[in-house]
Amino acid sequence: MTMKDVAIIGVGLHPWGKFPEKPWTQMAKEAIDEALADAGVQWKDIGFVISGSQLWGGRKGIYSGTYTEEVMGNIGLPVVNVNNACATGGTMLTVAAMAVASGAADLVLAVSADKSAKGFFPALPVYHEEPVPSDDTLRWNMGLPNPVYWALEMRKRMLKYGDTEEHLAKVKVLMSKHGKLNPKARYQREFSLEEVLASAMVTDPLRLYEICATSDGAGAAILCSKEKARQYTSKPIYMMASALGSPLYGDPTARIPVVSITPKPGVPVISESWVAAHRAYEEAGIGPEDIDFVELPDNSAWHVLQYIETMGFCGEGEACACLDRGDFAIGGRIPVCPSGGFSSFGEATMAQGFAQLYEMVLQLRGVCGPRQVEGAKVGMSEVYGAAGNNAAIILRK
Amino acid sequence: MGENKQVLIGENLFDMSGGEPALIVTHCKSCGDYFFPKTFTCHNPECKEKDVEDTLLSRRGVIENYSIMNYPPPPPFVAKDPYEPIVCAAVKFPEGIVIIGMMENMTADQVKIGMEVEVTVGTLYTNKNGEDIIAWKFKAV
Repeated sequence: MTMKDVAIIGVGLHPWGKFPEKPWTQMAKEAIDEALADAGVQWKDIGFVISGSQLWGGRKGIYSGTYTEEVMGNIGLPVVNVNNACATGGTMLTVAAMAVASGAADLVLAVSADKSAKGFFPALPVYHEEPVPSDDTLRWNMGLPNPVYWALEMRKRMLKYGDTEEHLAKVKVLMSKHGKLNPKARYQREFSLEEVLASAMVTDPLRLYEICATSDGAGAAILCSKEKARQYTSKPIYMMASALGSPLYGDPTARIPVVSITPKPGVPVISESWVAAHRAYEEAGIGPEDIDFVELPDNSAWHVLQYIETMGFCGEGEACACLDRGDFAIGGRIPVCPSGGFSSFGEATMAQGFAQLYEMVLQLRGVCGPRQVEGAKVGMSEVYGAAGNNAAIILRK
Repeated sequence: MGENKQVLIGENLFDMSGGEPALIVTHCKSCGDYFFPKTFTCHNPECKEKDVEDTLLSRRGVIENYSIMNYPPPPPFVAKDPYEPIVCAAVKFPEGIVIIGMMENMTADQVKIGMEVEVTVGTLYTNKNGEDIIAWKFKAV
């Protein structure tokens, strides 16, 4: 069995937002219950758990899967806790697919629930306990939250390709048009261009509405072999690729949390994402022209412009021309984030990949109603994490 | 810098022995690459020998790119009240390495790409114990 012989038979998604009274374990349970019902299986049928959570919800997040197993009812399941920063959601699916493909269990559950700090993500709670300061402790002391890194990359594009502040605002407008149609999104309303351009400049050239909020969220998925999928469901979705990536030496990007770069000619920007996307195409045996829609990690409007190029949906420097043409709208050449993206959800770090997965599965089942991408047969997602973590997934119906 | 006790954000980041601050970097004698902060090995996967030494970086570089922090950074940074926007710059040095740092005494309308700057040392913020947190910074030449 290979990764291509793996199917997704159930998905669940807790809505995204702020739920200060609700522990992350409760959010995880709600997502799991939805996924179990969707797959038509019971908790006791699960044979393996993959989980991951950031520490905002408390130190228990380190062993999120183990605690989630307890909440669902301890049945002695093997549990793997995963941490690949904000790329953990996608990473968990890769590990879950490996668990299915290896025969470790018939039914594998991947689950993530995450709480987020308000406003800019500050240093994690363990920050003050680091015995030797790393570049991560340096950057927090210097006052470098994540959006500064994205702003630095965006300014490079403005210089190199002539991208404008208006293009950034147009990205937000587009994401909000998709997000307003998604009942699981946190922000279900359309933003106007004027309103986005009037929002506060946060890390120049990125404005408040062009940077995703920080949210609480949870998601779950149940995977099994392609061969067995039909025993459980009439609507399995099949995995074509699930690829991880890390950076190439000489990457010119100031990736979170570095304070220096040793750039080399010819190395792509956000190389970890380039690597994962191209590895996924190779695994799937298809190219960007075969993808019907994409869920990409729009932590900021910059990410949309950059990922479209990094994932090969247009040439270098062409993203804004495609945006202006309407290519990224539902009904356009390559719909981008029909879910509304991080822009409409806010980011729940490690759980974020599940918001993408949920949308991909629903789109491929053809049940997205007013935001349905007509005739969607193949979808792709990519998540991006600090330190150069990345995961790219391609699914088909 | 004022009367407050000064606390460095990390050890072995810069050297003041020449009178003027210079950043301490690791230079790989085998492949020629530079790393900051200093490290114990060369990170170049193509480099076999990885024969590294610590050295001082050129004091002057050119602003390759910048952003303005218009919002107060999150903890542990303690922002001034009222907050004054901070200019963050990515500076390219003759050795080829790009280093990120905050600009000293520079406002948003003064920063320009291509501007020549030099390494300095200054206060990032004053913490709740009244200590000045000190780091490398850049200033216009």
